[in-house]
Amino acid sequence: MKLRSRLTLEEEDRDINVSPLIDVVFILLIFFIVSATFVTLPGIDVSRPQVQRAESLKKNSILFALSEKNQIFHAGKSVELAEISPLIALANKENNKPVVIQVDKWADATLLAKIIAESKKAAPIVSLATLKER
Amino acid sequence: MRRNRSNFQAERTEINVSPLIDMVFILLIFFIVATSFIDEIGISSNYKDSNSMVKNENKPLFFTLPGSGEVLVDGYSVGLEGVASKVRNSSGLVPPSIVIQVSEGAKAGLATQVMDQALLAGAKAVKLAAISK
Repeated sequence: MKLRSRLTLEEEDRDINVSPLIDVVFILLIFFIVSATFVTLPGIDVSRPQVQRAESLKKNSILFALSEKNQIFHAGKSVELAEISPLIALANKENNKPVVIQVDKWADATLLAKIIAESKKAAPIVSLATLKER
Repeated sequence: MRRNRSNFQAERTEINVSPLIDMVFILLIFFIVATSFIDEIGISSNYKDSNSMVKNENKPLFFTLPGSGEVLVDGYSVGLEGVASKVRNSSGLVPPSIVIQVSEGAKAGLATQVMDQALLAGAKAVKLAAISK
């Protein structure tokens, strides 16, 4: 009798109750599913211009980058100027996503003006990514 | 013998959740890795297209950025510091529209800073325009 009760006690002790763990993991899983936006990054690092007035931009946007050597990047690949508005139209099925251009401060401004003009054809809002002045 | 059967029943009623946990963990790790939290800050140049400009009565204020790195208004160099005061002085009741004309060789960083200064001074809309020689 005594032996049996001790045995069951030990058995109860041995298996951990996993249901709170599952609860927490499910909550985390749902949070990450909801917050996943799948933004394709341009894939290059630019040195952004520093400005005083900067506002936070929309998270779910189409990103382009203009490098120091005046190359345009989108989703890790170098693209031409004329390809920009078809790419935006492709990424933008029906919802009007804004476009964010990550511009290097030593890039050519005329090319930037052309990129903005080209993006405006297909997207309602075009923004430039900057650094906040400290 | 009887104890054996009760043990058997207890095993039957309990669902084995470990494959479920495995799967959920794999999904969780996938979504953690796939989520890219980008938080960009920046400026937006909200400029209406040219036909709405015609209706606007006040003329836009032109800034010119030549390749030399200066900021010109009507041919005079004002520098980056002078942009905000130019915009404030020109504005009557309506906040002015700004057009920044950039020529070959002007740097995008300077153009962005001029846009920022103009927006800071209360400009309604800023447009970047390339001028060809």
